[in-house]
Amino acid sequence: MIHARQLTKFYADLRRGRFVALDQISFDALPGKIYGLLGPNGAGKTTALRILSTTLRPNSGTATVNGFDVTTQPALVRRQIGFVSANTAMYDRMTAWEMVEYFGRLHGMQNQLLRSRMEELFDRLQMNEIRDLLGSKMSTGMKQKVSIARAIVHDPPVVIFDEATVGLDVLVARALLKTVAELREHGKCIVFSTHIMREAEKLCDRIAIIHRGSFLAEGTLKELCDRHEQPDLEELFFQLISQHDEAHAINK
Amino acid sequence: MNWNNVKLIFMREVRDQLRDRRTLFMIFVLPLLMYPLLGMSILQVSQFLREQPTKVLIINLPQLTDLPSLVIDDHFDPQWLSDPRQQRLFELLFPGQEHAPSANPDGQISADLAKHAIQNGDYQAAVVFPADFAKQLTHFRSSLRQHSSKTSTDGQLEAAVPNPVIYCNTANEKSHLAYTRLNTVLRSWAEAVAKQNLKDSQLPEEVAQPFEFKQADVAGAEQRTAAMWSKILPFVLLLWALTGAFYPAVDLCAGEKERGTLETLLCSPAQRSEIVTGKLFTVMVFSVMTSVLNLASMGITGDLVISHLPSSDQAVHLGMPPLVSQLWLLLALIPVSALFSALCIALAAFARSTKEGQYYLMPLVLVTLPLVILPMGPGMELNLGNSLIPLTGLVLLLRSLLEGNYLSALPYVPLVVGVTLLCCLMAVRWAVEQFNKESVLFRESERLDVGLWLRHLLRDRADTPSVSEAFFCAVLILLIRFFMTFAMQVPETFADFGRLVVVSQLVVILTPALLMTVMLTRSPRQTLLLRKPAWWTIPSAALLAIALLPALRLLQLAVEQLYPASPVVQESLHSLEQAPNFWMPLLLVAFVPAVCEELAFRGFILSGFRHLGHKWWAIILSSLIFGVTHMLLQQSIVACVVGAVIGYIAVQTGSIFPAMAFHFAHNGLLLAVMQFQNSPLVQKLTRPLADGAEFIYDWWLVGLGCVVAGILLALFAGLTYRKTEEEALQEAIEHQAAGVGA
Repeated sequence: MIHARQLTKFYADLRRGRFVALDQISFDALPGKIYGLLGPNGAGKTTALRILSTTLRPNSGTATVNGFDVTTQPALVRRQIGFVSANTAMYDRMTAWEMVEYFGRLHGMQNQLLRSRMEELFDRLQMNEIRDLLGSKMSTGMKQKVSIARAIVHDPPVVIFDEATVGLDVLVARALLKTVAELREHGKCIVFSTHIMREAEKLCDRIAIIHRGSFLAEGTLKELCDRHEQPDLEELFFQLISQHDEAHAINK
Repeated sequence: MNWNNVKLIFMREVRDQLRDRRTLFMIFVLPLLMYPLLGMSILQVSQFLREQPTKVLIINLPQLTDLPSLVIDDHFDPQWLSDPRQQRLFELLFPGQEHAPSANPDGQISADLAKHAIQNGDYQAAVVFPADFAKQLTHFRSSLRQHSSKTSTDGQLEAAVPNPVIYCNTANEKSHLAYTRLNTVLRSWAEAVAKQNLKDSQLPEEVAQPFEFKQADVAGAEQRTAAMWSKILPFVLLLWALTGAFYPAVDLCAGEKERGTLETLLCSPAQRSEIVTGKLFTVMVFSVMTSVLNLASMGITGDLVISHLPSSDQAVHLGMPPLVSQLWLLLALIPVSALFSALCIALAAFARSTKEGQYYLMPLVLVTLPLVILPMGPGMELNLGNSLIPLTGLVLLLRSLLEGNYLSALPYVPLVVGVTLLCCLMAVRWAVEQFNKESVLFRESERLDVGLWLRHLLRDRADTPSVSEAFFCAVLILLIRFFMTFAMQVPETFADFGRLVVVSQLVVILTPALLMTVMLTRSPRQTLLLRKPAWWTIPSAALLAIALLPALRLLQLAVEQLYPASPVVQESLHSLEQAPNFWMPLLLVAFVPAVCEELAFRGFILSGFRHLGHKWWAIILSSLIFGVTHMLLQQSIVACVVGAVIGYIAVQTGSIFPAMAFHFAHNGLLLAVMQFQNSPLVQKLTRPLADGAEFIYDWWLVGLGCVVAGILLALFAGLTYRKTEEEALQEAIEHQAAGVGA
């Protein structure tokens, strides 16, 4: 579904010179599975997902989403994905209903289909009370619900969540994770980035640990723990990160 | 482009703006409130000014019994005033009265005292009659009577009446006003005295003024109104169109970036061009609405206020602009707001935040205002040259249409519309470019540190220069060139000319380009296109230059017809005539520029612009800059065309040498034709124009040249050129867009 090969992205940074945000990342995410990107802040998760959503172009490497190339066919790729991130805010002066409807129409959905799909989504995500509420009056949790509805209104085969639980309280975060799991049941290919261990443990079928732009380890939870002889993800994560940092310090 | 998406985005943005209280206030409420309030305050202030009397000190008021008196009961006699009610406008004071300066011991008051009093602001004006004024006037009048009774024609009137003086301070508004008021009153009194004199001399009043020139205005009241409006309206219209476009544009681009909704939109299937177009239409709607509402509100309020102003009885009554004018304004408003909207969107897209966006208003106004004010200058009229200047042409056209000169204006309509549309397209393209740039979309604020930045430039340089480095090089060359023009004089001798060429080519053009190449790029060879081209391209390029010469000559003459050159331009060429031989000028005029200018413009600058992703944008931009460095408009236009051809050759062959060959052949040929103008060969191929000074090539030569040039250009077009990464990517994306459309 998503095949990323050797994705590299660097920025010109005044202080650090060429700053490599993403260093030859390769992975495959499959339908009906949740692929987790686990990493500390600034690891390159957002950069990777922005490349998949075509808002950034890789400096080298390729990625295909549902068979379309992210660099040369960005418009086609965007039809295949739903993207939810902390950076994709909702319009202040639009109601929940208008917002979801707007994006559904941008995806070229027909009136009848759009209506029935929206009714279903608003029921499923329990958004009927906020249907006519303006974005500016919504709480963070409400906004996140609208964002999800907006991202999946066109029933995309691929859904990408970038740090989607940031700033949500436990109840709302739990509901969001439940929604993500449901989407997996519906056969979606899901990429889920987070820096919270428990979310990755609970949710993801495969996990990649990313730090300073490169993958430190990749596999199912069990594979990872077995390979590195660690009892759980948190220990594993901490060990890998500190090892990498030490190596990095020595190299410098 | 999917118009459904454009419409969707447009509808959403309009609704969004209409829900924003700030926008509503700025666009609807402010104009509806501001002008009536402004009008009210003007009326209030004028009321205040009208009520305020001016204090006038009158010294040595003559007491004349046989003449109409100037002052009655401490007020001007109403018969000297155009309106008896004006009496209260003057507060007359006389020495010895309360508040008036006390008289000297001899009962007189000196003019100096009056001066001081005015300077201090105690009075607005003072009328000082000389002490013996009354006596001398009486004497004059009696001698006048004697003179006329004698009925002899000889004999002089011996008496001369000393002149009274009105003291005022023109640096002070009130005092100046007092002078104007006083002057009218005193003049009519003096006229009455003169009339009395004539009567006493038994002469008819008509002696002093036997006839009068009367004004006969052939313009009807309607035309006068139209002329009046045609000066004001275009300016106001453009100004409001710009203001109306700016704030929504900032909110729609920078604001959306700030609120984080832009990324949401960018992840949707809508393409960047659709997003920009949708936003463009939104901004246009608000620009048009702002302009129309402001004009309407201003017109109605202005009409009311002017009719209530005290001076309204003398001034032309303006009235509403005629209906046809309003129609023209509405029509012209559309391209104007389209242009401004596109410009504003591009600028606003570049801004990181709304605050940064607001900062860009000033530069935008500074660029557009001169173009709008230029046509207000006297003597500016609609002609071919002016109609090609963006905005200026439009204002002039609008003015002609408002004045009702349809027949003379209509031929320029396609030109003006074309130029405006072209500018508009370029601005839209620029805006889309902004939306395509990651660095613009995800700009983060960096600390400003010049040292760090310079180090970054040197450390992180690429093989070829970036777009902004190329642009900087161009600006640098232009700036040095500009300051050099003050240092260098028009050459008189050939040696001076040589020095001028060498300095301007080596120092102004080549040095910055070479220095920047060495410092800012990793591969000077690739930047300056120092590659071996296919062998045949060099002679072909030279041949192309020869083939294009007759056609370019026609273009040159056409340009000179449009924008006549000043004689100074020609002068610098005279020094060439003193050249010792043909080869020295050839070296200076053809060889040196071919090397220096090509390395700079087709080397560094073009290579930088190639990163834009479209070879034609790179070629056109670099040729525009090449044109501008020629400083003189007449040369610039032709240089632009030549630059575009050379740029195309450089891109297609990937080498600087064919470009140099073209440049050398072109300049060398121009020089040769000038030097050997009288030779039989040149005489045979050319024909003089009517004025004798200029010539064109025979038409068959022009035609043949164009055919040959066409073939050669086709040959160059057949070459596979080396694309930059950006160009390859753009091509792939366009391919995809075509796929989506199908």
